[in-house]
Amino acid sequence: MEFDLAYLARQVPALRAGFLLTIQVSAIAVLLSVGIGLVGACLRVMRVPVLAQAVAAYVEFIRNTPLLVQLFFVFFGLPALGLKLSLFWSGVVALTLWAGAFQVENVRGGLAAISPGLREAARALALSRGQYLRLVGLPMAVRTGLPSMLNTCVSLVKNSAYVSAIGLQDLAGVAFDRIASDFRAFEMLAVLLVGYLALVLSLSAAVRLLEHRLQTPFRP
Amino acid sequence: MSYALQQIVENAPLLLIGLRATLMLAVVTLAASTAIGVVLGTLATLRPRWIRACVALYVEVFRDIPLIVTIFAIFFGAPFLGVPLKPFPAVALGLSLWGGANGAEIVRGGILSVSRGQLEAATALGLRTWKIYLLVLWPQALRAVLPAYTGLLALIVQSTSLGALVGVTEFLKAGGLIIERSTVMQGINPAFGIYFFVLCTYFAICSVLTLASRRLERRLGRQAGGGATIRAPDASRL
Repeated sequence: MEFDLAYLARQVPALRAGFLLTIQVSAIAVLLSVGIGLVGACLRVMRVPVLAQAVAAYVEFIRNTPLLVQLFFVFFGLPALGLKLSLFWSGVVALTLWAGAFQVENVRGGLAAISPGLREAARALALSRGQYLRLVGLPMAVRTGLPSMLNTCVSLVKNSAYVSAIGLQDLAGVAFDRIASDFRAFEMLAVLLVGYLALVLSLSAAVRLLEHRLQTPFRP
Repeated sequence: MSYALQQIVENAPLLLIGLRATLMLAVVTLAASTAIGVVLGTLATLRPRWIRACVALYVEVFRDIPLIVTIFAIFFGAPFLGVPLKPFPAVALGLSLWGGANGAEIVRGGILSVSRGQLEAATALGLRTWKIYLLVLWPQALRAVLPAYTGLLALIVQSTSLGALVGVTEFLKAGGLIIERSTVMQGINPAFGIYFFVLCTYFAICSVLTLASRRLERRLGRQAGGGATIRAPDASRL
């Protein structure tokens, strides 16, 4: 079985649509999960009763369960509670909840890395804990935690391929469908290999570049 | 919800079959990943640059391609190469290639964490390279990699759920079968309860492993003379 370029060319529109869907799902999930990370980490660090424990439990639960099962739970299970989400939003919600747990830990790690002197200085200036987080803590935490936050985002983009398991036509979904219907495995697998490698490698290269830039003021 | 509970009790044998397949898949994958990880991780600490580059390429490729794509590629691609694979071996192979990449990183870190003086002393004593690894570097690296390895096992257990997509009747698939059956036969859809139960079971298994990993990390880190331990692969690298 040889590699059929003409066939591949005919599939370009479908693959492009799939690729755009991958980007779309990941972009929304990235934004929402960073939001969860910021809010969750603040709740934990401020030790808000009940909510702090709830965030901790959420993080532990997500980290110790498979993403695929979480996705199935959101898509097949939640309608029983009257929460019927479309395919697209099921995928977004599952990916968001999954990545959000890691973002909480990333931001928390950034907050923990702030020197105690700064916290004491903030208290000496009579800043409330909320003001400390908003004006001092989060800006610094995001800066130090940015590399790990972005790495989680890269993983999120990669793992957006999981949404094909519930039938969403993202890049992986389109390619798997074509393999099943046209029996042209090599072409589609090559597309997947190149597509995801290019996506992930270019994103992680961007992360490294940014990391380098962020460290500029701290280099001797 | 009580209906789902009743279904779980009634279908306990099916769930146990699924759980057994999950654990078997995890054990096979762990063994194969360890083999790949030790070989590649060791190669990555050797001098020649091209060997290190090859290992780095392997690690990068299998960690950057979504695991679901790797497994589908093997399962659907193998017949085109003339070697049709059954679901279980196909999934085990895909998971092992991925687990081996993560294992190689851990082993490499473990060997590099052994203090340089050990390597120099062994060289000065005239030991051959393979003896240096066997008698000096591996035993000391073992301590350092133990926590990370336990963490990797938790990730492997989670990843076995992908088997459900290509037809391995592991735990997730067993749950799906129960839902399908009762939806068709009784017209009641217990997806919420069943999948919640499946989530909780994975949580029970994996959190034990995660806890063990953290405890090992703390204990080994505290011991006098203990070198740095290798960080467990982040679950977000799944």
